[in-house]
Amino acid sequence: MLPITRGIYNALSLIARSPQNRYALHTASALQCKAVAAEAEAETAAEDVEQDAAAEQKLDANDRTKVIPVETSMRYLKSAAYKQTYGDDFVWVQYRRNHKGMFAPRKTRKTCIRQGKISTGNPCPICRDEYLVLDHRNTDLIKQFISPQSGQVLSYSKTGLCQKSHFKLLVAVERARDYGLLTYDVPFREYDYSEYYGKTEETAPKKP
Amino acid sequence: MSFLRYLRKINTQLQLPTRLERQFSNAGTKSAILQYEKDPQPQFTDTETQRLLQSMTQMQLDKVFRKRTVPDNDNEIKFMTTEQLENEFVKMIEKAKHQLQMPPVVKVKQDTERIISKDPALKDFQNTKFVFTDITYGLRQSDRKVVVRDVDGTLSYAPLETQKRMNQLYFPLKGRTFHTPRMFSEQEYLQRCLDDHKYEFVLDRLTVQYEPYELDFHQISAQVFQHLNESKEFDQLRSTRHFGPMAFFYAWHHCIDDLLYDMIRRDYLQNAVELIALSYKLHNVPVEFRKTISELDALQPTPEKRALNQLLSSLKSKEEHEGIQQEIQTAIGKAESDFAADEISLKFIEAYIASEHALKKVQLELAVQTLKEINLEKLQLYHGLKKAHGMHAS
Ligand SMILES: [Zn+2]
Repeated sequence: MLPITRGIYNALSLIARSPQNRYALHTASALQCKAVAAEAEAETAAEDVEQDAAAEQKLDANDRTKVIPVETSMRYLKSAAYKQTYGDDFVWVQYRRNHKGMFAPRKTRKTCIRQGKISTGNPCPICRDEYLVLDHRNTDLIKQFISPQSGQVLSYSKTGLCQKSHFKLLVAVERARDYGLLTYDVPFREYDYSEYYGKTEETAPKKP
Repeated sequence: MSFLRYLRKINTQLQLPTRLERQFSNAGTKSAILQYEKDPQPQFTDTETQRLLQSMTQMQLDKVFRKRTVPDNDNEIKFMTTEQLENEFVKMIEKAKHQLQMPPVVKVKQDTERIISKDPALKDFQNTKFVFTDITYGLRQSDRKVVVRDVDGTLSYAPLETQKRMNQLYFPLKGRTFHTPRMFSEQEYLQRCLDDHKYEFVLDRLTVQYEPYELDFHQISAQVFQHLNESKEFDQLRSTRHFGPMAFFYAWHHCIDDLLYDMIRRDYLQNAVELIALSYKLHNVPVEFRKTISELDALQPTPEKRALNQLLSSLKSKEEHEGIQQEIQTAIGKAESDFAADEISLKFIEAYIASEHALKKVQLELAVQTLKEINLEKLQLYHGLKKAHGMHAS
């Protein structure tokens, strides 16, 4: 069934080339359109305009095509709105995964956002709030995902992040450490003094 | 045309010296960054200097063994007899000493080109260089032979940079990366770290990323110390492995006054005396300091002993008479010997402030004055309490 609808969709979008051809698909499939005729297309386009306003409002909450700058996100994390939403908890604390049976699948879903929209009813803690942007400058957010005991990045089985967000998180943490924005406990380096001192003493008498 | 070619030939021949020159001139433009003008190593490794530095570093066990966020972070709970526990305490002190091992202060090592042989027959055999590394297990980093066969057939010892890279490739040092962290390579980010007062982090990472004889190590550490001297957050480094090199740096470059002020303000008078003594020693100032130091040493325990006593005191059952005396001492924070030591050190410090070596005289004098007043109050309180408890003011 899916390939067929997709075939129709492709054909339609080829003809239509209208900016809202995505909505055209819904109306077209609803009309059970089999014949790909120019007249039918014109009809649906007219109906589209009416439905668009309503559809756009409905889709707005799930739309993730707008890029939120990191600076906004950093301000958001300090704002009262953030405080009201999450309280003193970390952003992932209140999140629960949906799954059938007793045990959750080992891996979280691949991504919550497909084609610029949220494609799931239970998006992960990062994807559900569009103002949480994973970036190395956003240290307030990154710190929430680092274990206070081991200093490592918390697993997605604990935080519930989708694989894509988790990968972004790993990149952000690595970058933040590289830039020195995120401090961590550097491994202890033991010096073998003789390596630095013994040698110079050997060469020192030779010089004069 | 031939003249041009000749010039180019000269240029290629002179490439190495010019590169060196550029390095030097680079250091010259950053005139703000202080450098060791001669080899500091003999002075640094001197046993007396080491002892002074260790004493100044102090040993606050809470800080040395603070909880670290490292992957293997487990603790063990055991039942022990008192004797076993005491032995364990001694071991802990040894461990703390190891943790406080100072990064060596050595001069910048210059890269020298050492050619083993020139084999023109091998010229253009390949269009890349070959690097040969001796990967025998257990060799020291500096002993490892790394040689390079150049495209033109020259066989020579590898430059330091290549050597470091090959060492890291075959025997990786934990925490070191091949590319320089942007924290160090880009001034903007380093400055940001310093402005956030992440001194210990920067220095820890510096020790891991660089070798002590590298130019970058010297420049960055100097920058950190100088920033620290302005922000006066010396307490952050106290009781870490970087305090010794820092004190040494200040003493070497005649800028101990801020650190001294901090020490006096925090009532670490013995450390203040040691710092002054160190600066006298480094610059061969004809002031006799060894007598004062030995007097102070007789009166006050070394940092290790103090830490051990602190640990052991949790075990001791308090006797009646001892208990009150101990209580008075802990309430005031000073014992009789401490007051005596303070007097000696204050005399020494005042002599320093009066001399021409001190730069911020007014500030230091004020600090000493306030400290004296506080100490006097404490002394009166101490005697008063003793009398009230019916003990002899011996
Ligand atoms: Zn997600």
